[in-house]
Amino acid sequence: MTTTSTGISSAGTNGRLGWAIRDTAAMAGRNLRRLMRQPEQIMFNLVSPIMFTLLFRYVFGGAIGGLQGLNYVNFLIPGIAVQTVLFSAGVTGFALADDLQKGFINRLRSLPMARSAVFGGRVAADTLNNALGLIILLATGFAVGFRPANVPGLVLAGLLLLLFALAVSLGYALVGLSVRSPEAVNAATFPIIFPLTFASSAFVPVETMPSWLQGFATHQPVSVVINAARSLILGDTATPEQRDLLLGGSGTASLVLQSLAWTIGIGVVFGLLCTRRYRNLTA
Amino acid sequence: MTMATNAPAVIATDLVKSFGDVRALDRVSLEVQAGTVLGLLGPNGAGKTTAVNVLTTLLRADSGHAEVAGIDVLRHPGAVRRRIGLAGQYPAVDESLTGIENLTLVGRLNHLPTAQCRSRAAELLEQFGLAEAGRRFAKTYSGGMRRRLDLAAALVARPSVLFLDEPTTGLDPRSRIDLWKVIEDLVTQGTTVLLTTQYLEEADRLADRISVVDGGQVIAEGSPSELKSRMGGTLVEVRLDEQSQARRVAELLTDAGDGRVSSQGTLVRVPASNGTAVLAEVVRRLDAQNLSPRGLQLREPSLDDVFLALTDRFAEDEQIRSTG
Ligand SMILES: Nc1ncnc2c1ncn2[C@@H]1O[C@H](COP(=O)(O)OP(=O)(O)OP(=O)(O)O)[C@@H](O)[C@H]1O
Ligand SMILES: [Mg+2]
Repeated sequence: MTTTSTGISSAGTNGRLGWAIRDTAAMAGRNLRRLMRQPEQIMFNLVSPIMFTLLFRYVFGGAIGGLQGLNYVNFLIPGIAVQTVLFSAGVTGFALADDLQKGFINRLRSLPMARSAVFGGRVAADTLNNALGLIILLATGFAVGFRPANVPGLVLAGLLLLLFALAVSLGYALVGLSVRSPEAVNAATFPIIFPLTFASSAFVPVETMPSWLQGFATHQPVSVVINAARSLILGDTATPEQRDLLLGGSGTASLVLQSLAWTIGIGVVFGLLCTRRYRNLTA
Repeated sequence: MTMATNAPAVIATDLVKSFGDVRALDRVSLEVQAGTVLGLLGPNGAGKTTAVNVLTTLLRADSGHAEVAGIDVLRHPGAVRRRIGLAGQYPAVDESLTGIENLTLVGRLNHLPTAQCRSRAAELLEQFGLAEAGRRFAKTYSGGMRRRLDLAAALVARPSVLFLDEPTTGLDPRSRIDLWKVIEDLVTQGTTVLLTTQYLEEADRLADRISVVDGGQVIAEGSPSELKSRMGGTLVEVRLDEQSQARRVAELLTDAGDGRVSSQGTLVRVPASNGTAVLAEVVRRLDAQNLSPRGLQLREPSLDDVFLALTDRFAEDEQIRSTG
């Protein structure tokens, strides 16, 4: 038995989980402060969903067909929403790479804090940031004619997207801890995230793509999540033809379950890889 | 206050750590008695930072054993982190937070009660001369201010074992002396300190024991005075204008001192354990030859001499080993 007095006593006798939650809150607070002190980052998060909405609605929208009578704005907004959260999730990777480069991660690694809080605090802050982006997007969408069928569906769709983005941001985190510079995170993830976002049902119906691409574009996780979000947002207003051709032919419940399965799978795999990577950092 | 115990607060046995082909630690063993200071000296790339990183749980050794505050570093790294403070070779502060915010965050992550986080932050900022700058973002700090903030962060939880990797590099003389006082106070209160440094004066002043590492191995160990006495005692140093002159003078003074006379460049060293008598003899002989040296002094061997002699010899041995 070793008993050591450290001069200052630790507060209470809390379990590991209690401390892990408090450490996560402390780190999330730090990350949000940091984010708020980088106005250029915030500006980007606010401006990019507005720009993309206007671009697709007014520049490309007129040329996009195969919508089975669906209003393009109602088709578009869930797609832009996924694109917004996926791109913003990159912040997780940039910020961790920056902390690593500046040596701050070494300070954290020498402290008796929960290691999960380094990631937990990161994705918590980034998810809030992402939620803000979604709200801006919604406001823009409403202004240009977006009309969801019902509010609960809209809210569920938003949560589904945020959860998916959270899982993906753990992938970014892994890259951030591996490449050690914010610029390199971009270079390493762009070739993966770009095709996943654009070779998907986000902006145009998969039907309009060449047949060799359709299989991938229909079944890859980003499309599954978009279809689930769309299905939730369109609710009963979607016709059977629209369901068949625009939403992968599945019902809402099935799409939501598929998205959750992808989300959990991606989150668990990258979460485990991240903690392993963190443990094995060579200072 | 900690009880004065005789158990070592840091024990490392045969630590090995390789990065690819580089053996950064090659069976390093160290021991620091509780409440004392160990100075880890060594040239660049010797393995000092690697040793600190292994002992502070940032790196896992490939083999060997280490205990800090009686806890196995490899088996219970979390428990070790509750008892140590680390100021690494490069300051690890969050530039987008203020000085106060940095220290408060470290306090929270050390699980101190909220009120204590704040009072401790204020106290440390005061102690490190950063009270004025506490509300400014750390990115506006000078290099020396950042280092002081980093040192303060290492002390937030009042650790019983403190690891300082080149703590005074980049500090101005005033701040350096202030930091020395802080360290001395902590040690009087029972803290154990392991510090690496490039300033031998610092090791001389602070360290109870010194370990010299080179090429990942401990090549000498002892108290500062033990190490110095290995160099022989007091010396008379004669500096001349030219090398040829120095060689002539070395011959002239061969039997003036009480040991082997050596010359290096324009410098001649005469061992003089009975001090001034030898100095007088040297002056008489130079005078008789009408030689006026550029400089003449009687001095104690410094840790610099020890360091240079040790690491030189080691480098030569290595060369012999690799060529032979
Ligand atoms: N992460 C790493 N990857 C590869 N090699 C490393 C790594 N860290 C240290 N080394 C190598 O290990 C050896 C010891 O390095 P270390 O940083 O421990 O030296 P040091 O004594 O602290 O030197 P300095 O006085 O320059 O700080 C060096 O040869 C260095 O190149
Ligand atoms: Mg070093």
